[in-house]
Amino acid sequence: MSSQAVDSTADEPVIRCESVYMIFGDNAHSMLQQANGVVDAAKFHEAGCIVGVNNASFEVYEGELLIIMGLSGSGKSTLMRCISRLNEATAGKIYIEGEDILAMNDKQLIELRRNKMGMVFQSFALLPHKTVLENIAFPLQVKGVSTQESMQRAKEMVDLVSLTGRENYFPRQLSGGQQQRVGIARSLAIEPDIWFLDEPFSALDPLIRKEMQDEFLRLQDVLGKTILFVTHDFDEALRLADRIAIMKDGIIEQLDTPANIVLNPATEYVRKFTEEVPREKVLKIKSVMDAFDPGEDFSDFDVQQDAIIETVAEAVLNAGKAVRVVDAAGETVGALHASHIVHVLFGGHTDHAAEKTS
Amino acid sequence: MKFVTKLAALSLLVASFGFSNVANAKDSTKPIVIPIHNWSSQIVMAYVIGGIFESIGDNVEYVPADSQAVYESIRNGDVTISHEVWQSTFGKSFYNAMTKGGVIDAGTHAATTLEEMGVPTWVVEKGLCPGLPNWEALKSEECYKNFTTADSGGKGRWLEGPQSWHGDLMPERLKALGLDDKWTVKFAGGADALWTELASAKKEGRGTVVFNWTPNFTDAEGFTFIEFPAYTDGCRKADGGEGKCGSPKGWLKKAANYKFPKTHPHAYTIFSQLSFTTPQIGQMAALVDVDKMDHKDAAKQWLKDNEAIWKPWTQAGM
Amino acid sequence: MIEALRQKKYLQFILLVIFFLILCVVITPSEGNWFWRLPPLIKELPLIINNGVDYVMFDWWLIDVWDPDIEEYEEKPLMNQFTRSASGVVLFMIEFVREIFLGGVKTIVTFTGWDWATENEWARWPALPWTVVAGGAAILGYALKGPRLALFVGFTFVYIAVFGQWEPSMETLSFVLIAAPMSVLLGLLLGIWAFRNKYVEMVLNPILNVMQIMPHFSYLVPVVVFFGIGDHAGAIATVIFATPPMVRLTILGLKKLSPEIAEAGLMSGCNNRQLLFKVLIPTARRDILIGVNQVIMSCLAMVVIASLIGAKGLGNNLLIALNQLRIGLALELGVCIVLIAIMLDRLSLAWADKQVDYFADLSFVERHKFSLMFGVVFIVGVLLALIGSLVFKEGFNYLYLIPHNKGITTQDFWQAGVDWVWDTFFYALKSFNEWFIVEVLVPVKSAYLAMPVAATFVLAMGIGYIVGGARVGLAVGGFLLFIALTEWWDRALITAYLMTLSVLISTFIGVVMGTLCAQNPVTTRIMLTICDTFQTFPSFIYLIPVMMLFGVTDTSVLIAIVVYATVPATRYTIQGLLSVPPQLHEAGSMSGVNRVQRYLAIELPMAFPHMALGINQTVVFALSMVIIGALIGTDDLGQLILKSLSDKDGVGNGLVLGLCVAFIGLAIDQVLRTWANQRKQALGLA
Repeated sequence: MSSQAVDSTADEPVIRCESVYMIFGDNAHSMLQQANGVVDAAKFHEAGCIVGVNNASFEVYEGELLIIMGLSGSGKSTLMRCISRLNEATAGKIYIEGEDILAMNDKQLIELRRNKMGMVFQSFALLPHKTVLENIAFPLQVKGVSTQESMQRAKEMVDLVSLTGRENYFPRQLSGGQQQRVGIARSLAIEPDIWFLDEPFSALDPLIRKEMQDEFLRLQDVLGKTILFVTHDFDEALRLADRIAIMKDGIIEQLDTPANIVLNPATEYVRKFTEEVPREKVLKIKSVMDAFDPGEDFSDFDVQQDAIIETVAEAVLNAGKAVRVVDAAGETVGALHASHIVHVLFGGHTDHAAEKTS
Repeated sequence: MKFVTKLAALSLLVASFGFSNVANAKDSTKPIVIPIHNWSSQIVMAYVIGGIFESIGDNVEYVPADSQAVYESIRNGDVTISHEVWQSTFGKSFYNAMTKGGVIDAGTHAATTLEEMGVPTWVVEKGLCPGLPNWEALKSEECYKNFTTADSGGKGRWLEGPQSWHGDLMPERLKALGLDDKWTVKFAGGADALWTELASAKKEGRGTVVFNWTPNFTDAEGFTFIEFPAYTDGCRKADGGEGKCGSPKGWLKKAANYKFPKTHPHAYTIFSQLSFTTPQIGQMAALVDVDKMDHKDAAKQWLKDNEAIWKPWTQAGM
Repeated sequence: MIEALRQKKYLQFILLVIFFLILCVVITPSEGNWFWRLPPLIKELPLIINNGVDYVMFDWWLIDVWDPDIEEYEEKPLMNQFTRSASGVVLFMIEFVREIFLGGVKTIVTFTGWDWATENEWARWPALPWTVVAGGAAILGYALKGPRLALFVGFTFVYIAVFGQWEPSMETLSFVLIAAPMSVLLGLLLGIWAFRNKYVEMVLNPILNVMQIMPHFSYLVPVVVFFGIGDHAGAIATVIFATPPMVRLTILGLKKLSPEIAEAGLMSGCNNRQLLFKVLIPTARRDILIGVNQVIMSCLAMVVIASLIGAKGLGNNLLIALNQLRIGLALELGVCIVLIAIMLDRLSLAWADKQVDYFADLSFVERHKFSLMFGVVFIVGVLLALIGSLVFKEGFNYLYLIPHNKGITTQDFWQAGVDWVWDTFFYALKSFNEWFIVEVLVPVKSAYLAMPVAATFVLAMGIGYIVGGARVGLAVGGFLLFIALTEWWDRALITAYLMTLSVLISTFIGVVMGTLCAQNPVTTRIMLTICDTFQTFPSFIYLIPVMMLFGVTDTSVLIAIVVYATVPATRYTIQGLLSVPPQLHEAGSMSGVNRVQRYLAIELPMAFPHMALGINQTVVFALSMVIIGALIGTDDLGQLILKSLSDKDGVGNGLVLGLCVAFIGLAIDQVLRTWANQRKQALGLA
């Protein structure tokens, strides 16, 4: 993940989907052609077809973490499987780094997966007959990396996911959280550019889930992968995502930053999710800051633009003046007013949206 | 024209070569396949014959085989010979295979066989059926009531070999002789069932009529065959007769694959000339059944003790 | 009334039985009455099959082949040449393995020819001393698992050697070492194919059903016709017998996998082959290993039968021993067979569980310690053999090869045991036997034979219909129709009578024993080992003592069948009871049930579907034993199958008779399986 990659593909999204349809059923193709792009799930269902993904178009950029959120049956996992081509999309185009993945033959596809993709599964999907180390080394071994080298690399991954000392355990001897660490390590072993995570933490206990999310953020901080992450847990999505795509019945209802989704739900369905969300715990400072006016009187402390409001709210409200907002590098990027915070948190809906993150 | 002469020359060459080969008549080094069945005399004789073949430098191989199915195998060339073809029991399989082609009759042993219903001699001595071995004795109630079993419905029971041996011969004979209201036939599953019946009847002191043959290891214990009306050609139901006859004094034949004379002319000559008598066969069986020797050891022993008998056969083949 | 009838199945059954009885009374037995017996319309089928096979094997596509033995061109059918070449390959493999153990000349001959080998007497492959084989095997056991397995493996080989069964045992072992992997491989391939292609599965399923129930005798003749006689033929018959369960379990195992496993493999960049062999099959290992276990058991169960068509070794010796009524010897041979079966099973399990340590920093010696150990064993073994040749100057070198039947023996002991049993129990058993025959067997048999064919159809199809609807009813009817149209309907009724009684007895014994043993883990384990033992222990051995005690009667046949058929009933009962979730036990205990109540009200109903499958297997086992029953003496289909070995139309007769037996089983299978699935669904187990 060198910076060079960022430069050369600055304009080209890592993943680009154009009108992707995934419809299960024997006569899916002909029905889709007749429907002319407008798919009514209920009608299709009558004809014995199940609509998994309905006209999905979006992009994912280098280093971005896009979360696909939806309840079970919403088609979120199906969409992810279309992009990794575990499912063959019924119609549409999917480009990975500009290459049409649907046009690839088996060999190219295998090459792509061997070098660019990693995936983590809800049920961990570890190979029960292999040890932790062998599981992690598996993608390297099928690629043809020598045993010694792949084991060396696997050992590094074991350390990375903090499983040191358990190399020779079998999956059945590990707890759920530990198993998923193995799953994560396996998916990262080949140093993929694109990382797919299919409800990776859903099968875990709440405490472990929190711990794993932190671990995940830590890893992502170090690795900076382009990530497609599927979850049914809205809190998780808010916590981790750069952008969230909310799906229902195969349709992407809204695709935006967490803040925008919370602040401006596009549909009634999305609103239902956002209603219960305590905003101060979700929104970052940058979503409520105003433009920087050098003439203003600022208090003597700064806040980070990425800080969650809740963590700094008390200080800002007590400051009595505007607070300077800085980015990670310490550059001033905006100003924060107590009144704005109060408005956002308790005043219903704002129209002037937070800036886009991308 | 030139081509034709060449061809003629070639064929002449081939012919002469073939001819000279016949003249020199050397046995092929390919092994002669001898079947092993599941009774003592046959196994020992297999090793005896194998030993004789080996003594003239031929290779021999033994293969376990079912005694009925073996004729099909000889026909196909998977097995080379069969050295104990019992008339009554295997005659049908043997002739079936011969009709289909591929099996040849390689002569007959001196031993005559008898395959017939009979009783252990002690049954006669104990007077369980007064009048035996004459078959007329079977008619009396004081005879057949001693041979009933739980499932025979009050009749005396004949324990016949499996139906595969002689089909419905025995039930037909019972009927023809007018014994079928007094006796019934039960088919045993195999030879071991017969021997078990003999053993358990003896322990219990109960009468039993079983199918048996001679030469056999039971000869030693004493076995009395029932004397039925004499066999004449065509007397059996299956051959169009009335069925009122016993078994013939049977032959004991040898069978071979049709190629055997060509591939192993020397061995074939020996095999076709070789002939064992009833006592000799009994001797072979006794080495195993009475002296409890291993079959192979028994064969070695017999060959060592009886060189005078088998050596001349090997000379004759030269 | 009608409504009640629709609701209550037992009312339907009662009505059916009444109707059946009326039919039995009304229909008069006479030759021409089609309601009494159907005309044998497919009487010619065996002949047609026979002619077909004859044509393919002997007349179809004749080619000229140079026969070097008689120096002539011979017209030979292509098929024959083809199957004989295939036989040659199998035979070569068997001989090769065999000569590693026992030495010989065949392998050398394969590469040089008989002429050369006959001229060069020195060119013989030497046998390994038995000490080397035993030691090597023990090391293998140690390397795969640990000292306990090593000890067991070592013990097996020492037992074999000491009891003088070395040669036949190695012959059998070499035969199994080829047949078992062939079955496993073939089963895996077919299973995978069926897993990937549902049409293949659709075709394969009924074939597997038939193959599993068809008595092995019925395809012996076809195998001999196609492949000839010898070890290879035995191996091929064994493969036919042992492969179906392997296919079944492979499909089952692969189907059970979560789709995420396959996806994980794909996303790891596996190609098709890697996905299959590195991901799917190893993950489905549990079921596949059960398949391997079944294959090994089946292979050794076939050892005796295979010897009828030329397999050398323990099976053949066993048959000969039985024919001499040497039960003690037969028993020792049987123990060898069982030991080999258990040993191979344990070794294959251990091999599948093997673990590698990648980071252990090993020295050369450590890394090659097993090879080195074997090297040492080899040298020591050879030295011992050399010393042995000096010590045992005359006769046999006990340190090289213990010759056949020259070991120690416990024959006399066993013989005495059998005699003792006879002396002690005979008279008590005799009166029981007579009562049983007169009061049970004879009446039941006559009742079966007195059923008009129409009544039988109504009863069987009615049961099918009530249990599973029209589809099952028709399927059952179809199977019966085939049998009814052959000329063997009466024989089939006798088979059915033997089967019904033995299944009833087996199920009763199996359920009772299974229930008792499932109460604690130790007895469970012991019982399962006993099941394994009886499944491989050649049933021929107990035929003789049973016949001694019960005579050549149906009682003996029944006992022989029951001993074998009780195995699945017991096994499935245990497994069914163990699969009852512990929460249910707790729930029961909290409701205050006592142990008996808990068993009757909770465990038994929950385990019932599983047990129904066990009964299904019991039926299969009972039917496959029908032929062993024929070896005692019956007048059913089995006797005719036995007879087909010498028939001139043997191929066709054997196969059609085999089909008849298989179809009886399939009819019952249809009903039982449907019913078990319904129960499973009702209990939420499926």
